[in-house]
Amino acid sequence: MDFLQNPEFGDRVVTLMAAFVLVLQIAMVGQRSLVMNIRVFAAQSFLLASIAAAIAWYNHAPHIYFAAGMTVIVKAFAVPYLLERLVDRIEIRHEIEPIVNVPVSIVISGGLTLVAYLVGASFYHPEAEPRSLGHNTLAVAISLFLIGFFMMVNRRKALTQVLALLCLENGVFLAAICLTYGMPLIVELGVFFDVLVGVMVLGILVYRIRETFESMDVSKLRRLRG
Amino acid sequence: MLLLALLAVPFVAALVSVLARTRRAMETANLAGFGVTFALALMVVSAVLARGPVSVWGGFLYADSLSALVCLLTASVALLCAVYAVGYVREDERSGLFEDAAAGLWQFRKYYSLTPLFVCAMLLVALANNLGVMWVAIEGTTLTSVFLVMFYGKVTSLEAAWKYAIIGGVGLSMALFGTLLAYYSAHRLAGSDTLAGLNWSVLAAHAAELDRTTMRLAFILVLVGYGTKAGLAPMHTWKPDAYSEAPVPAAALLSSALLNCALYGLIRFYILASRCLGAEFPGALLVLLGVLSMGIATPFILLQRNLRRLLAYSSIDQAGIMAIALGLGSKLGALALMLHMTFHSVTKPLLFLCAGNVHQHFKTDLFGKIKGGVLRTMPLTGGVFLMATLAVLGMPPFSMFQSEFLLVRAALGGGHYLATALFVLFGAGIFGGAMFHVGGLVLGAGDGQPAVALRPWRDLSMLALAGVLVMLAFWLPAPLLELIRGAARVITGD
Repeated sequence: MDFLQNPEFGDRVVTLMAAFVLVLQIAMVGQRSLVMNIRVFAAQSFLLASIAAAIAWYNHAPHIYFAAGMTVIVKAFAVPYLLERLVDRIEIRHEIEPIVNVPVSIVISGGLTLVAYLVGASFYHPEAEPRSLGHNTLAVAISLFLIGFFMMVNRRKALTQVLALLCLENGVFLAAICLTYGMPLIVELGVFFDVLVGVMVLGILVYRIRETFESMDVSKLRRLRG
Repeated sequence: MLLLALLAVPFVAALVSVLARTRRAMETANLAGFGVTFALALMVVSAVLARGPVSVWGGFLYADSLSALVCLLTASVALLCAVYAVGYVREDERSGLFEDAAAGLWQFRKYYSLTPLFVCAMLLVALANNLGVMWVAIEGTTLTSVFLVMFYGKVTSLEAAWKYAIIGGVGLSMALFGTLLAYYSAHRLAGSDTLAGLNWSVLAAHAAELDRTTMRLAFILVLVGYGTKAGLAPMHTWKPDAYSEAPVPAAALLSSALLNCALYGLIRFYILASRCLGAEFPGALLVLLGVLSMGIATPFILLQRNLRRLLAYSSIDQAGIMAIALGLGSKLGALALMLHMTFHSVTKPLLFLCAGNVHQHFKTDLFGKIKGGVLRTMPLTGGVFLMATLAVLGMPPFSMFQSEFLLVRAALGGGHYLATALFVLFGAGIFGGAMFHVGGLVLGAGDGQPAVALRPWRDLSMLALAGVLVMLAFWLPAPLLELIRGAARVITGD
């Protein structure tokens, strides 16, 4: 069982899981069903928590376990639960209608991943960095961030924009654990609190928009001009 | 303990308002809460002036002159808006905006519990030493004010609230990334992976040793992120909507106190970046965004048809002016910034209070429908409105002339000739547009409605603020000037 103590192995496990996170992110871009999108997001958050736990284990940094636990509770369970309940409440099952069609979206996501690798490479100092986790994880984090932006502008439904915002947040979280082994505990706690409250606030807004406009299409929000 | 009390008092006022059963109890809780908050802010200021930076909990909360100034401005605007709000929300109820008594009480509860929470979050922004906690607090200001923006629940309020929440959310996620990178830039320092590693005072003390590439990226991300909150162009699009849909006292808070807080976050990062990279790089970006904000505000002010949207574009213009002053990077520029922030926090809420009086009397914000004549119908509001407009446009003898004059001098001294020329050009355009619209509104012929009686809550709070504006034009109290100078010294670091 000495692979459990071997940091080389840990590094590979983390990289593998980060790759899966990226795959899930692109799956989210390609997936057109709203409920599936929420579930993919939950799975992605769960993987992020596993990455955090693996880093905590192999680098003997117990305070990251806390962040991992909070991620599971908040992002893998509470937030998807709230969003799915919202989907039930407003009785929409129909599909996401992206502005750019799915194949092109996936190609664009691939391009953004490439950009992320280029940006991530500038942070990679193999010689100076004894505790570096390699730039793969950081590149994945930056691609999550960029693809989250792309999802934000590519989607018209209010609820899917909330999901895109959460993906941005996931990107920052992954960058935080691989760059600095997480933020200080109290900051982490505050961020999770804000995410949870933010999802509730946005959920109420989505509900009210749906009630008022009979649609969640934010491109119909165009009364305020000039 | 003073700093803790400053945060606790508005929080308690919010709790009391949630639990209170009558409108009067909520109003009392708010007025008392903000009164005490203001007194505490004054005590913090005097403590900082007497003994230098104050901190509690091992530097978790930290107040130097800059934080003390922002706290003082937030607390004083909050107090005046609380007095004004009593009259404003009651008038809403009287004019039948709320469906029935129960819905009315719910609206009162919403306003009187969210506003203190909003103010509490803004005070935490100024007092948090840890940059991560500061981010959490700025996000908190968005979350607490979203429901204030959609207070009236109209179709347009929903649209404004949605834009506010989503644009703010995206901007703040970038700011979080920037904060994280700032934390990472210190990873080579000893003890950087503790809570204090993200403390501004620690990072500022070791700014020269921070990783330069990371710091550069961090500053860009934070500039976009907190710039969104401050409403710098091109991330300003939420601002006119939010300001024109929120209840007027809340809009006054958004336009002055929240703008200060967002700029405060930006200033803290600017200090780190300028000590790490030199003032050139962050300064150039700030001047660019500032000039762009002024430039974008100008046509919208010239062609504006809606009173409160006009004020919102003026606020974008002012945010641009303050970004330019920060970006100049000289001692004179920093002094101009702090003076301008102080004077703007008096003038912009005053404009909103006047606009609120006009809005509640005429039931519209459109210049075309009001048809002028505000001076005849509401002599007090009309006169103060005109005066405040002249003040915000930087006319002497009002104090914003001094700060803008200082800014121009600092800009010319620093060799920013193009930026200065554009500043003067856009300033002239904005002057023409705003004077044309507000002048027509106040002095225009009107349709001869009779003059309205004095409405104590709204008119007296407006007059009190107008008194402060006039006083600051001729006499700046010595301790306040000392505080402003201290804040400017925090920026330049000497």
